[in-house]
Amino acid sequence: MGKKFVVPFGSQHVALPEPIRFVFTTENEIIRNVAVDFGYVHRGIEKACMSKFKYTQVPYVVARVCGLCSISHASGYCLAIETLMDIEVPKRAVYLRIIAHELDRIHSHLFAVSHLCEVAGYENLFMRVMRDRELVMECLEIFTGNRVQYDFVTIGGVNRDLTKEVYEELKPRLEELEKRLLQLKEIFEKDYTLQMRWKGAGVITKEMAQKYNAVGPIARASGLATDCRVEFGYFPYEELGYRMVLYHEGDIWARNMVRVDESLVSIEIAKNAMDNLPEGEINVRVRGNPNGEALVRWEAPRGELLYYVKGNGKPVLERLRIKTPTFSVIPVMKELYYNQPYALVPDITISFDPCLSCTAR
Amino acid sequence: MKNFQEEKITPDQLREKIKSFYKEDEWHFITINGTDTGKSIEVKYFFAKYGKKEPVYALSLEIDYDQTLPSITDLIPSAWIAEEELYDLLGVKVEKAKGGIFLEPDSPKAPLRKSFQPKEK
Repeated sequence: MGKKFVVPFGSQHVALPEPIRFVFTTENEIIRNVAVDFGYVHRGIEKACMSKFKYTQVPYVVARVCGLCSISHASGYCLAIETLMDIEVPKRAVYLRIIAHELDRIHSHLFAVSHLCEVAGYENLFMRVMRDRELVMECLEIFTGNRVQYDFVTIGGVNRDLTKEVYEELKPRLEELEKRLLQLKEIFEKDYTLQMRWKGAGVITKEMAQKYNAVGPIARASGLATDCRVEFGYFPYEELGYRMVLYHEGDIWARNMVRVDESLVSIEIAKNAMDNLPEGEINVRVRGNPNGEALVRWEAPRGELLYYVKGNGKPVLERLRIKTPTFSVIPVMKELYYNQPYALVPDITISFDPCLSCTAR
Repeated sequence: MKNFQEEKITPDQLREKIKSFYKEDEWHFITINGTDTGKSIEVKYFFAKYGKKEPVYALSLEIDYDQTLPSITDLIPSAWIAEEELYDLLGVKVEKAKGGIFLEPDSPKAPLRKSFQPKEK
């Protein structure tokens, strides 16, 4: 029996992009107990959407929940309102949403991949992934008009069309990105140092993923086949070459590989949607106020995002609930730390790609 | 248009109801949502089936503001986070929930209650 040490990790830590605090009790550098606190930046966005803003303004408010998956928040909310108010979105707008959504997934995944390389001490690979990610950032800027906060999706459709000129800018960038991602994938599959560090480390079994209701890439890296794009079926992904990426190892390496492979699938989906874009309008006019309740399970880059809306026939909603993917993976993350070496904490934490901005919305 | 399947229950029936259908390898527990109706708190427990394109299933109940809700964390271990959120943001007393995870000690209490009005700057 070693002497027990209490080691705080966060709320400010070099490996953490956002404030979350873990207090680890360690014994011979092995974690024996953990406490978690993540309420540092609660912003009251749900309250604001139920008291200050009309339901038509809310897409632009919820997009500010997160800088990385703002498209997912706006899209999830708009889809919930469209379901509640029985609004049929034109098929061209649906395809445009899919393109934006998949490009958003790529840049979010590559950010997570690069950050994981950084905490593993692989600075040059971090730089390389961030450099390659610029291609998708350029695509998003050209396509939506903005680099981070796109405000592209609106209730009833989208705000901007895909013109021939934009298509010609996007296509070669996506093809180049695909080539570079295949090179990166080879590095992750063959690099001796990364395999030594990540393979077999921080393992979440399928049973553990089910027990703690893991979502998104975390679940799929543990062999748990769950994806809201399939289960909720909100968009015609089957028309555009969607396939689920599943790994069974459940370790840090598998979580990284799911993100790399999903980025490749997203490129394929985006290219197919661009090549087969239906003709027609890009939005429909919305009249009236929402009355009743509806929900949407949306597959954001980090996993299941839930939007629940309840209207009472007035312009301001009675309830807006946002359940984010990181909210769902904190229980399995907390459980995973038990009996792990403290030295693995940065890699394990970042392999979850946690977003506290979303969780403390 | 409501797009989920809802079953109304009482707080006393909650645990037995979950025990009767919930299997870890079949059902995905999504979260718990609370809504202040102005007279009571409406609480919904959302579930979805893995790999099935079926509507979300919700167990719905109402509790008074000062009533205590039974905890389900022994049945669904990941539910602690949703119960803590219900405690912090809506002031719902939930067995086992300690509070203070989503809000800091000097934050306003139960900000999602209708009675709470944000201060204008």
